[in-house]
Parts: sequence; structure tokens; C-alpha cells
Amino acid sequence: MRRLHQQPLCVASALVVPWLTLAAPTWLTLSGVGPSWAVLWLLPWALVDGPVSGMVAGLCLGLVLDGLSLGGCSQLPALMSLGCWWGRLGRRGPPIQLSFNLGLLAWLGSCVLGLSLWLQMVWLDFANSFQIQEAWGWHTLMVQAVLTGLIAPMIVSWLLLLWRRRAPL
Amino acid sequence: MRSPPWPALSRWRRWRRGWLWLLLVALFALVRWSKGAGFADAYAVLTRPFWPGSAQREWIQSGVELEQQSKLRWLEKDNQRLRDLLDLVQSSSGVDELSAAVISRTPQGWWQQLELGKGRLHGIQPGDAVLGPGGLLGRIQSVTPITSRVRLLTSPGSQVGVWIPRTQRHGLLIGMGSRRPQMHFLDKDPQVFAGDVVSISPSSSLMPANVPVGVIQSVDYHALPAPRAAVQLIAAPEAIDWVQVQIRS
Repeated sequence: MRRLHQQPLCVASALVVPWLTLAAPTWLTLSGVGPSWAVLWLLPWALVDGPVSGMVAGLCLGLVLDGLSLGGCSQLPALMSLGCWWGRLGRRGPPIQLSFNLGLLAWLGSCVLGLSLWLQMVWLDFANSFQIQEAWGWHTLMVQAVLTGLIAPMIVSWLLLLWRRRAPL
Repeated sequence: MRSPPWPALSRWRRWRRGWLWLLLVALFALVRWSKGAGFADAYAVLTRPFWPGSAQREWIQSGVELEQQSKLRWLEKDNQRLRDLLDLVQSSSGVDELSAAVISRTPQGWWQQLELGKGRLHGIQPGDAVLGPGGLLGRIQSVTPITSRVRLLTSPGSQVGVWIPRTQRHGLLIGMGSRRPQMHFLDKDPQVFAGDVVSISPSSSLMPANVPVGVIQSVDYHALPAPRAAVQLIAAPEAIDWVQVQIRS
């Protein structure tokens, strides 16, 4: 059986991430903030396909998503690190498949991603960093993490099941 | 002539009738003093089914709108003439407006932006002003051949020169990520109050002058080095499907 990154259909499924990021369905937002679709796709991919593939997927997703945003700060470092970490978790120990564990990993991933973006924004806009911290940074970070963690058991479990069938360990 | 059997009772009746008339007069005086209260209200309640319907109201409103539009056109022409006399930069004569559909929106989150369905091929350039119903929404950040990305005024990193027309005090409108950007005044004493309208500074060389932006919500007079104010934007990006892009020729 071929690995996941060798199957064009599985690779093409990554296109859903920028599409959903642009579509930003309002019925899936909490206080105006949507989930991190990149985390929801990258988590099962890295768990199934390993650390190197996870890191490369994080790199590709980061590049595309950075191109779709206003710029200033990048998702790339956080997504690459998460891809590598989740890939290592998938390779070592028993396979992760409990809904709670998947939700927790997605929550942590979203927190790492949000923290990385927030730190970059504070670094770039140091003059207003204290106000950003008060008004908005924590709010966006926590809302996105909670929403991603809640959605993950549904989407990540389904993708994990699908991809493990196509590329068993 | 025969005297009544009960003279006291007769006097009482006459006295009571007189008081009744006096009470009635007092009541009318009260109505007069209250400018017809009670009567006008009762009339309004009774005639409510016969009031002009929504069609007539819309007709009157459209007439008022037409009148205001013609006044606005005249004022714009006059403003343009005066700006030309003063030889101010960025006169509106070199600006065309282009309608564009909003194809993607993220008014909240890490990046606060809109994606428009028109781009470089339609003449849009980075830096062009984007207006919605009510006022300025943001500026074009980047363009592709058929799309363009708008940085909203609420987005961190957004900075626009604004002023308060009432007091003619200038400031900088800075996006803080929240729904209300902050206006940093240039003066120590801006003499501004909640409710004052904020618009684009007439001396702005990048944005169309005097376009309304928002309303002052609260003022922090103790902020350093100069007072700051939270501004409630007039145009709401959450609910706008079409915007106007001001293209600089």
C-alpha cells in the first residue's frame, strides 16, 4: 500500500483548507472567529503519514495560507512544528484515535498556532502591543482554540479513519 | 307665588350645577394648557386605521432622498471647485468609483480582511479606498488579476489620517483588532465628546477627503502622550455584500 503523500486524491484534499479559510462559513464561528482549518487537516495527516510528511505539509499549507492573508506574520513556523510533532506522536506508541485525545491535540495545536501569530504581531507592532494583549489577542486565541478542539473529534476522527484505511501502518 | 317646600334642597341643586360648570371649564382650561393632550391622543388612536400606508411613506422618503442626493451633488461640486481653487492634492476629479462584490470576509480573527471580486484588470490598485454604505471600510492591500484584498480599518496595522469636523482636530485612526479602532489625537486638548463624527482628514493625500468613518464612542483624556478615543465605525463589514472602490486615475 502506498503512503498517504503518494496518493493524489489524499494530497488534493489539502485544497479544502484554503477553500474553507476563504469561505469562512459564518454558522461555524464563535464570536466572529472561525476554527483553524489548517490544524484540523494537518493533525490526521501527520498522525498517519509521519513527521517528515507532516512538516512538509505544514510548510505547504503555511505558504498557501500566508498568501491568502494580509501578511505581517506567518503561520508557517507553527504549522511546520506541529506537523513534525504530531508525526512523531503518530509513529511512536499506540495509535491515537480517542475523540478526547484528538480534541486535546487540536486544541493544543490551535493554541500553539495562535500564540505564534500573537507573539509575531506583538513583536511587529510593539508600540500597541499592550492594547492588543488586552483587547483582542487572548480573545481570538482562546475562541479559536476552543472551537477547533470541539470540532476536531468529528472531522479529525473521520479523516483519520479514512486515511488509515488507505495507508495502514 | 308659592315658595318651594324645601328651600335648602333647591339652593343645593343650584350650587351643585354651578360647580359642575366650573369643573368643565377647568377641564377645558387644562386641555388648553396641555396643548390639546388627551384630545390629540384620542384622535390619533381612533384614526390610526386610516393613516397613510407604507407606500406613501416610502414615496415621501424617496422624495427626501432625491432632494438630499441633489443637495449632496451640489455640495460636492462646490467642494471640488473650492479644492481646485486651493490647489489641494488628491482632488476627487481624478477618482472613479467601481462596485465590487465581497467574495470572502473575515471581519474578526487574526486577519481582518475582505476579498473582492474585482482586481487589477478592472483598474484596482493597492492603496485604493474601499467604501461601504455609511463610510470608509478600509484600503486595498493587494491585488490579483481578478480579485483584491482589503485591509479593514479594524485590522492591526491599519493607520488612516482622520479628523473631527466639528472641532477640526486631527488624529490617526489605528486598528487594534477589536471592533472599535482607536483614534490617537495629535493635540493635548482635542475638545471632543462621545457622539462626534470622525471623517477622513481633508489634508489626506492617500484617501478621499471628508468621507465619514465613524462616531466617537468614548474618550480617554488621561492617555499619554495625547488623548485617545474609541471609534464605532459606521460601515459594518459583517453585513456588506457590495462595496465601492475609489480608483485613482
